[in-house]
Parts: sequence; structure tokens; C-alpha cells
Amino acid sequence: MSNCHAGIQPTKNSSEAQEKVVSPQSIPDMNNLKKVAIIGLPNTGKTQIFNNLTGEYNIVANYPGTTIEMKRSVARINDQYYEIIDTPGLHCLYIHSEEEIAVRDMIFSERPDIIVQCIDASQYKQSFLLTAELLELETPMVVVLNSMDETARKGIWIDSVELEKRLGIPVVECIALRGLGKEELKKAIAKARTGSLDVKYGFQIENCINELTSVLPFDLDFKYKIASLYLLNDPFVEKYLESKFGAEKILSVRVAFNKFRRQLKGNVRQVITDKRSQWVNNLTETVVKQQKMIYQGFSHHFTQASRHPVLGIPIFLFFMAIVYLAVVYVSGAIDKFITFAAVTPVTGFINSWPLPVFWKDLLIGPHGILTLGVFNAICTVLPILTVFFFIFGCFEDSGYITNFTVLSKRIFAKIGIPGNAITSLVLGFGCKTMATLSTRSLTIPKEKFIAVFLIAFAIPCSAQLSISMAILARVGLSAFLIVLGALVVSEMGAGIILNKIIKGKTESCFIQVIPPMRFPSLRAVFIKTYYRIVSFLKEALPIFILSAAGLFIFDKTGLLAMTKQALTPMVVGWMGLPKDIIDVFLLALARREAAAGLILKMVDSHALNYIQSIVAVVVTTISFPCVANVIAIGKEMGWKTAVAMTVMIFATSFLLIGMLNGLLKVVCGV
Amino acid sequence: MGITKIVEHDEHIEQLWYMKEQGEVSVDFLKTSMGNTYNEKVIEELFNSGLIDLSQNALIIKLSDDGEARARQLIRAHRLAERLIADVLGGGGTDLEKIACEFEHTVSAELVNSICTLLGHPKECPHGMPIPEGECCRLALKTELSLIVPLSDLKLGETARIAYINCRNDQQIHKLEGLCIRPGVIVKLHQNYPTYVIECEGASIALDKEVIANICVWKNAQPSVSAADQKKLDKKNNGKSLSKFFHLFKK
Repeated sequence: MSNCHAGIQPTKNSSEAQEKVVSPQSIPDMNNLKKVAIIGLPNTGKTQIFNNLTGEYNIVANYPGTTIEMKRSVARINDQYYEIIDTPGLHCLYIHSEEEIAVRDMIFSERPDIIVQCIDASQYKQSFLLTAELLELETPMVVVLNSMDETARKGIWIDSVELEKRLGIPVVECIALRGLGKEELKKAIAKARTGSLDVKYGFQIENCINELTSVLPFDLDFKYKIASLYLLNDPFVEKYLESKFGAEKILSVRVAFNKFRRQLKGNVRQVITDKRSQWVNNLTETVVKQQKMIYQGFSHHFTQASRHPVLGIPIFLFFMAIVYLAVVYVSGAIDKFITFAAVTPVTGFINSWPLPVFWKDLLIGPHGILTLGVFNAICTVLPILTVFFFIFGCFEDSGYITNFTVLSKRIFAKIGIPGNAITSLVLGFGCKTMATLSTRSLTIPKEKFIAVFLIAFAIPCSAQLSISMAILARVGLSAFLIVLGALVVSEMGAGIILNKIIKGKTESCFIQVIPPMRFPSLRAVFIKTYYRIVSFLKEALPIFILSAAGLFIFDKTGLLAMTKQALTPMVVGWMGLPKDIIDVFLLALARREAAAGLILKMVDSHALNYIQSIVAVVVTTISFPCVANVIAIGKEMGWKTAVAMTVMIFATSFLLIGMLNGLLKVVCGV
Repeated sequence: MGITKIVEHDEHIEQLWYMKEQGEVSVDFLKTSMGNTYNEKVIEELFNSGLIDLSQNALIIKLSDDGEARARQLIRAHRLAERLIADVLGGGGTDLEKIACEFEHTVSAELVNSICTLLGHPKECPHGMPIPEGECCRLALKTELSLIVPLSDLKLGETARIAYINCRNDQQIHKLEGLCIRPGVIVKLHQNYPTYVIECEGASIALDKEVIANICVWKNAQPSVSAADQKKLDKKNNGKSLSKFFHLFKK
């Protein structure tokens, strides 16, 4: 069964990624590779630089948090092999969330040989604060000034030569999205060296940190940094030490720390951050020039309008309309073309063969592996996904999604979703699996539970959304709007009820950087769509074929008829659907796109009426959580919760669908 | 009681408050931390007037409820005075400590509340120690005269310089610092509905009401108090404090 559907990149674990790119024979010694960690603030282009260095492709997008898990790959740079590590965004070494802790733990425990800090040159100050912290690690470094094209628009000029002198480490200018600066970066990695940070925190604090480092276990790396983080009350540093050296050994350290902390008068945090930002200010004064007057162009105004409470709504509807029309008409046309060019000739060819009926059925019968497997995937589902991925890719790269987060915040807040969970929920429209994984940035259990449940519940992911659109468009625009309404109502209801039932506090703390909107690079979007389609075909096509074969066997052995008989009261009585829809449900267990493709056929052949089409789409959207999503829930919340949630979703949706069926019948007067 | 005696009593009470902040209760600790300013007789007098509790053969010393109220008032005055000097009058270093020390003993509760309101109810002194909450903070009083207001009070498109951030949550404050949202930085309010959006050092940042209300910024103060606010404040402070405040500055 599939691990993740084609929506957005599957998150690979490190060993898989390594194996994929370079076969082990070609590298002399995997364990002795120098490690290069790409680190930086969210949405500064780390993954793009990773892609450029390794020649691999990982999904990049213009919103913070695209990369959730670390990725590793081996690349050959200047005749030497390096292990390149791509990391999720990191604000500072003082930790706020679980994603960030993974990055810091990686730095502390793996001790990368080279750190490449990726900086968004148009928001340099924020990044330089992180530079100050990374320099304290005394690890060879390279600074990459990315998005150099944005600086010109913002009237910023950075003297990278002077910056290189001041930091004492190589500084590379680059426009990663267009592949500019790649060779320079490769050269710089070979020349990476330890920089110098001339920040002194004053006698008292320095003294304290130095004495603390002497208490820390002897064989610990980055003692200075760890001591200063401990002094700042970082909640995770103690846990890290405990996991590494055992609680007993750390007890004495804690006693010493508490003693020192009491001795220090005043606010250590304030002194340290003041000194650091002073350093950043001094640095930027000499290396950065900022124009006073900037022309705020169309994209600036459009960005503001897109999150404006009034103007934002028509813009959103306009985008939705584009998606709808493209999915319905463009993919419809592609579908027709493929059917005309490939399916009809192939079917005709097979029909003309003198084959026994059984074999013909296996290939092109109603449950044939070609009909339900290959043709379903390639003619029906693929065109829809291609068109949708292309448009969705444009949205991602334009930076619209984060602005939409701001716009939709009010609605989510109404149902009790705290601010920081909203980004995850919006990501659910892309891929529910990825959205579920991104909830690890939520620290309060209640918030996390609600967010994970709502993502799994009535939010259609990109693949579902696009295919549902295509199905409902054939029934009529009103059907599409009814389904949309039903989903919104169920989702909001679920949110409100969960918020009431689950005890505990929620804390609102929404701090989100909004990337500037830009016109998406069509080349980048084409590449992204291509990779998504390829990964869809690789993952889904075998499952389409296998599930078709399974259904064929089920049918031939008579098991299908028995199952239908058993489920009839539920399906026909309660949901008001025809008996044959059970084929769809069985396929949905394997892969929902396959099921949706079959619904599409049933609609085309008028096997489903208006109400039945609506109900069928809602069923496939809510009732069958995708397997990858359930696995992600298990990862984040534990397996018990994952199973409980799946059961809860199934039961609730079963109830809701019966109600929807009844309601529609009353309204339509059937 | 003469002024020097009051000062001596207050010093002891304050020291006991610092000890409470650090979780210390032994008389020995008090002795060592006060050095030669420690006075056995003062302790006796404080005990007699019911401001402190002694237990375990006078080895454990704590503020009584009354004593705590007095200490709270003193510490509040001291730390607010430091804020006033550091933020408004631009003083620093030893000045800060010296003036604040003299100030705390003579100032009335009403005047302290006025200063607190003027400064936008700060929660920390310039050294980062907590300022005890007063009546005015609970009511979140505002006047036109307030020099420092929450960022959420700005009009759309207005820019202002951040004075301080009222936040006791370390993680949140580090996150804000990481985004360069820190004292001294100039920010612009872009949007306040459905959520707040500010511009800071070239980045647009969306924030919750709860977060943005803690970010206090300098306002171009108008030297007039609106009638309604004056009334609200006078009612709370018996109409004395504002005139007193101006008096202080004239001196």
C-alpha cells in the first residue's frame, strides 16, 4: 500500500535518500564523508540550494515550513564526496519547537564539518542574528546570500566582499531558484573556515559561562554554546544532556548551573540578545546600504490585497475559479484526447484478438486491470492531477498560501483553532500527511490533537480536491457548492465540539513570517509538477493495477457479490447509494484516487443521480483516511490515538453522510 | 519615625523581597547579603510592628502579609523609577540605581500608578526583573498622555519604535528576538484584521492580538488628556496623581 500519495513530496528517512542518489560502490567510505549541513531561517531557500548541490530534486515552495524532516544526500564537490544535509528552518539555537530541536540535536551530536548558512538577502538582519549564534559554534562556515534578485527590488545593496572580511568566512552571492551561484558555492565549501565573532557579553556573564563549561562532561562538543543556552533557560538543553550522559551525571551540572544563575544579577537574556543585536547593527551599518525610496510595485499591493479582509475574498474566489475551470475543462480535454489517441485503439485491438472471455475480462472488462488500473490512472486521474499540480505549484511559489493563512485565520479562530495550528491546517489542502507531520511545531497537547483530527477529517487534500471538482462539475456547479458547504460545516462543527469536549488550555501565540509574493518561475513550477507526476505514477500506478486485479478476483470468485449483499442495508438504506458503489469503497481502501476515477465513470454512465453523486464524493472525502495520513498520525500522536481517531472519523462520517442524504432528499423533494 | 529610619526599615524589607524572589528564607543569608547595613534592632522593630514573621529560633525569616504589601509597593516604585529614568529621561548605569533608591521611599501609591500608566504598564525593569502588578495594570488604564502604548493601538500605516516587550514567556520572546522584533526597532502596522500584520526590518510578520498587545511602542504623545480618560483616572486616583506628577517634573 502506498506510503504517501503524490500530493507533496514523501518524507524519506535518511538512509533511503542516501541509497537513492548514489550507489554505495561509487564512494570509497560512507562513514568518513565530510558532513555539510545547510542551515537557515525558514523560507530562505535551503532546499533549493540542497537540490542545486546534489542534483537531486526535493519539493521547494515559497512558504515557511516546506521542509519538515531532514534530508541527506551525497554529492561530489571539487573531486571530493560530501554528505549534504538539508534541514527544516531554524530561528535561533534557543529552541521553540520540535522541528527546530531536531536540527539543533543534529548539529550538537553529529558535529557537521561545514555549516552552510542560507540567508534571504532581502531580510538580512534576522539571518545575521543566527549567523552570530552559528559563529559561536566554532565550526567552518560558508554564508550564502540567497535571493539576490529580491534585494535590488527592495533597494538593498550588500557588500559581500566586506562581509566576508568582517565575518572571516567565505560569503557567496546566489539566486538559487535560477541556479546562479552554484559553482561559486562549491568552491566556497572547499574553502570553508572558522569565523570570528567579536561579541563579548561582559565580564560577569563570560566568567560564568567559562566556569560552567568546566562543569560540563569532558567529552561534550560545543561546551561554550551549551553552557550559554543553559544559562538562558533553554528548556531542551537539559533533556539533551540527560539523553547523552544519563540523568545522574547531569544532576551535579544542574546544581552548579542553579548556583551560577542565582549569582548573576539582572537579565542574562537581555544582555546577551542586546549584545548580539548590537553586533548585527554594527555589521549591517558597514556592509549594507539601504535606499530610502523604494517603488512599491504591483506585487506589493497585490500581496496586501490578498490578505485584506474585504479584497482578499474576491481574490480567493478568483483563484478558486481558475482552479475549477482548469481542472474541469483543461483536464477534460486532455482526457478526451488520450481516450481518442490511446484507449480506443488499444481496446479495439484487444477486442479483435481471438482471446478467451476470461482474459478479455481481465484486461478490459469492467474490473479489468487495464480499464480500472492503467486507463483509470492515466486517462482519468493523471490529467486532473497534472493540471491541478501545475496551478497549485504556481500558488505555492507565488507565496499566496501564507497570505491566505492570514485571511482565513478568523474562520479558524471561530472554531477554536489556535493561531499556530492554522498554517498546518492550510497545508492540509496540499497533502494531509505533510500537514500532520507539521503539527509537531505545536507544543500544547489539546491544540495538537484538534489540529491533527481536523486535518484528517473533512479537509480534502490536493488530489482529492481536484478529482472531486472534476466529478462534481459534471453534475453541476451547485453540487460542487453543496459539497463544499457540507465539508465546511462538518469541519467547523467538529472543531467546535472537540474544543468543548477536550479539557486543557489553549494558548494563542501566532507569529508567522509572510513571504513576499512574486510571480512564480514557470520553469520551476514545470519541474515541480513533473516530479510530482512521476512520483504519483511510481507510487500509485502499481496500486491501481493491483487493486483492479484484486477486485477482478473478488468478482470472479463471487466474494464481491457476497460483500455487496452484506453491505446493502448500510449503503443503499442509510447512504442512499446504489449497490455498485461498493466497488468504489473497496478501491478507496487501497487508493482514493482510484475510487474517485471509478465514481467519475459512474457519473458519466448515469449510474449515479444528482444526490448520489454528492453523497459519494463526500463519502470518499471524509470516510476513508488515507493510509499515509494514518501512519503520520501514529508517528505524531502514538498508534493508539491513530486507531482511535480513524474509528472516530469513520463513525462520525457515517452518521453525517446518512444525515446529508436525508437532508438532500427532503430539500430536493425526492 | 525619621526619614533615615524609614529608609533603613525599607532596605531590610526590600532585601527580604529579593530573598523571596530567590527562594531564600534564612537569617544568615540576609546577614551576608546586607553586609554591614544589616541591623539587628531593625529586625526587632519590624517584627514588633508585624511586618515580618520569625520562626525556628529566629533562624527563618519571612515577610508577613503586611510586610509583603509594603515590600511590593517599594519594589514596584523602585523598578518603575528605573524604567522611567532609562526609557524617558535617558539615564543609565549608576544614576539609575541611585535615583531609584531615593525615589522609592517617598513616592505615594497613586503617583506610582500614574507613572506605570504613563509607561504603558511595563512588566519588567531595565535589568529584566519583574515589576509587581498594581491596581492600574489590572484595569489596564490608558491616558492620552501615555508615552508608551501597545503596538495594537497604533493606527493602520503608522510607524513606531518599540520600547519594550511585556512578555514572561522565554520561548516567545526568543522567537520575537529572532525576527528582530526587539526594543529600539521601528515597526509599521499594516493590518489589524483578521489578524495583525506588521513590517519589521524588511519582513512582513503576522501576529495574534495576544502577542502584539505585549509589544509596547513609543507614541508621539499629545500633551492633553481626553476628558473621559481624565475622569477614569481621577476616579481611581482621587484626582491627585496627575497634578502631582507634573509637580515632580517641574521640580
